[in-house]
Amino acid sequence: MARLIVMGGGVSGHTAATFAKKWLGSEHEVVVVTPNSQWNWIPSNIWVGVGQMTKEDVVFPLAPVYEKAGIDYRQAKAVSIHPEGKADSDKPYITIEYTGQGKAGQTEEITYDYLINATGPKLNFDATPGLGDGNGQLGEHTVSVCTADHAMHANLELKQIFEKAKTQKQKILVGTGHGMCTCQGAAFEYIFNIEHEAKKAGVRDNLEIKWISNESFLGDFGMGGLHMKVGGYVVSSKLFAESLFAERDVPWLIGAHVNKVEAGKVHYELLDGTTGEEEFDFAMLIPPFAGVGLKAYDKAGEDITGKLFAPNGFMKVDADYSGKPYEEWKASDWPRTYQNPDYKNIFAAGIAFAPPHLISKPMTSVNGTPINPTPPRTGMPAGIIGKAVAHSVCDLIKEGENAHLHEASMAEMGAACVASAGKGVFDGTAAAMTVYPVVPDFEKYPGTGRDTDYTFGEIGLAGHWIKHILHHMFIYKAKLNPGWTLIPE
Amino acid sequence: MVQPLKRYPDESINVNAGPIRDFHETYQQILTDLIDTIEAEGLEALSAIQIGYAYQLMVIKENNTYHAYANPRIITQSDPFDSTESSSYFFDQPITVKRYGKLSIVYDDAEGKMQTIKIDERDKAATFQRKLDYLFNTTLLDRLLPHQREQAIKALAGKGHMPDLSDAFCPTESKKEYFVSVADKLLFFMFISLFLPLFNLSKETLSGWYTYDKFAFPTVIILMIGFFFYAQYEAKKYKQCSSCQIGNNIGVIIKRGIAAIAFAAGAYFILG
Repeated sequence: MARLIVMGGGVSGHTAATFAKKWLGSEHEVVVVTPNSQWNWIPSNIWVGVGQMTKEDVVFPLAPVYEKAGIDYRQAKAVSIHPEGKADSDKPYITIEYTGQGKAGQTEEITYDYLINATGPKLNFDATPGLGDGNGQLGEHTVSVCTADHAMHANLELKQIFEKAKTQKQKILVGTGHGMCTCQGAAFEYIFNIEHEAKKAGVRDNLEIKWISNESFLGDFGMGGLHMKVGGYVVSSKLFAESLFAERDVPWLIGAHVNKVEAGKVHYELLDGTTGEEEFDFAMLIPPFAGVGLKAYDKAGEDITGKLFAPNGFMKVDADYSGKPYEEWKASDWPRTYQNPDYKNIFAAGIAFAPPHLISKPMTSVNGTPINPTPPRTGMPAGIIGKAVAHSVCDLIKEGENAHLHEASMAEMGAACVASAGKGVFDGTAAAMTVYPVVPDFEKYPGTGRDTDYTFGEIGLAGHWIKHILHHMFIYKAKLNPGWTLIPE
Repeated sequence: MVQPLKRYPDESINVNAGPIRDFHETYQQILTDLIDTIEAEGLEALSAIQIGYAYQLMVIKENNTYHAYANPRIITQSDPFDSTESSSYFFDQPITVKRYGKLSIVYDDAEGKMQTIKIDERDKAATFQRKLDYLFNTTLLDRLLPHQREQAIKALAGKGHMPDLSDAFCPTESKKEYFVSVADKLLFFMFISLFLPLFNLSKETLSGWYTYDKFAFPTVIILMIGFFFYAQYEAKKYKQCSSCQIGNNIGVIIKRGIAAIAFAAGAYFILG
């Protein structure tokens, strides 16, 4: 009997673990290690953040689902990886520290035959002074919608602002809290959902709502932009975004690196080198991502973290990390199998793998500060990668170490994303976008690096319905309800 | 080398230009062609996409000096104003659009190093924005409101520069609306039938209405399937057509589909 450990129970880890268990059956063991007791459909957190959904609508308990699937579930955080075992044993293992199941604080070693690292990101609030609390958590000055609990907190704060706006002017600032953030889409969704709810609440006239982002142009979305179909016209996402912001009276700051947050004020530097301050009564700023801080040790107990992980904490896989200049970037730099080059029984999936470089053009302010979106890895690529990695591991277990590894390069896959701009059965709006390939292939598609036929978006009520349908469909799938394998990632 | 200028309605200009990555061969070749074409055509500025290169490079001629901007971005903008402009793409037809008179810009120079400049002359700022628009799949027409856009297109056609584009636009009355109209009428009577038991009608009459409902329900569904395929056909036929948007068509179908299912279920329990 072989044992597969999946570290992380998010979109990628959950997908990998559930498919692996289905394919391996009871002959082999699948263990999931995740510090969370609940699975969270993160794309709907923005609706929790404006009070249009409750936390219970976007989460469900993992334990019964894993019990049903026959997966050994450990509510714990992974602490370290020991790929060579230890002095008295060659068996590789990980150490974990429980966060629940009545064992909080206890540590344990679990051996493995195969390991999938799908821990997702650490929300690196402390990268910006004042954005975090100094202990890695969200600071006191701003809110976030990155987790369901953060979103609940954001909604409570927002409701207070709406209440104050009944009698006095209030200022809302939404966007990215650092020059190297990703997930502009989540902030984009949140700002327009706030605007939508403010209108419904009758307080829009007393609210100044402003956007701040590290994108070098509106509509970059961390992907270098795309075409949008709007009202029958085909326009660039830049014009689409500028029109949307102007129509809804939302001014913007772009090319911005937020370098300090204080009570009611952010300090920023722009790509042109100028600096400034922006005051706020309510701010939702997305933090940058980093690896979760796993350590790695060799057989002798020496620290080999730098061998397994890139400096940003994400795990090295079969990508080209040689640090080539921008003009030499190729689609083939991106990983295909997500297998660690040094330890062939370790894989990384979803956000946990280290990208070889950015997707958007790298930009640095005249003062030398990097200000550009980092590669977005939305749910769809994360799920696809998780499934491909699970497939590879299952084949390795069943067919031996020469089994063919499954491939899922982000330079050869498309991704779909639906960004809500207001919730409502009849007055909702969302932008549905597809990008192909996720990582530009400048050799295959000279110019933008993407197939323009498959890189486009459309905004309207139907997009909102699609987002709502996806909410229910993916929670249904994640609960492993009948037919779950038929629903694509 | 002088390159032919793209002219309206050549839609090959409507692509997002990719970033300049190679500042040796690609940059130099496009820059040379841009300058040669500006000279030959007597222009004041040109974007690479206007001569068929889908790369983010533009050149502005100022005091007989050529300024090249690779991968340009407007970081801040202020001083909004109405700018009446013309472009070689639109045969110099004047079109008024909203612009900003003061800009802060970053761009890459010939070495690929990022530079920053500020523009505070309205004319120069407008030229910069117009050329930048081309690099982001945006023409002067895209900056106009729908009715202004239609007027501008008519003005262009009136000068004889344009072929008749009437077939490219949405017809005032679309034949797909027949599908919707018939479906709506069937749904209306399905809705009415739900209230008939309140009027003490005979069993035979109610049975007849129930038969109608059993006929109307699948007919509405078939009509909506027909609507979808015909709407798709029209969407391909008429390029500039807001009502052809697939989202709108799906919305029409879902609304009537839900109504048909609800009324059919109601008829089953009330009349059946």
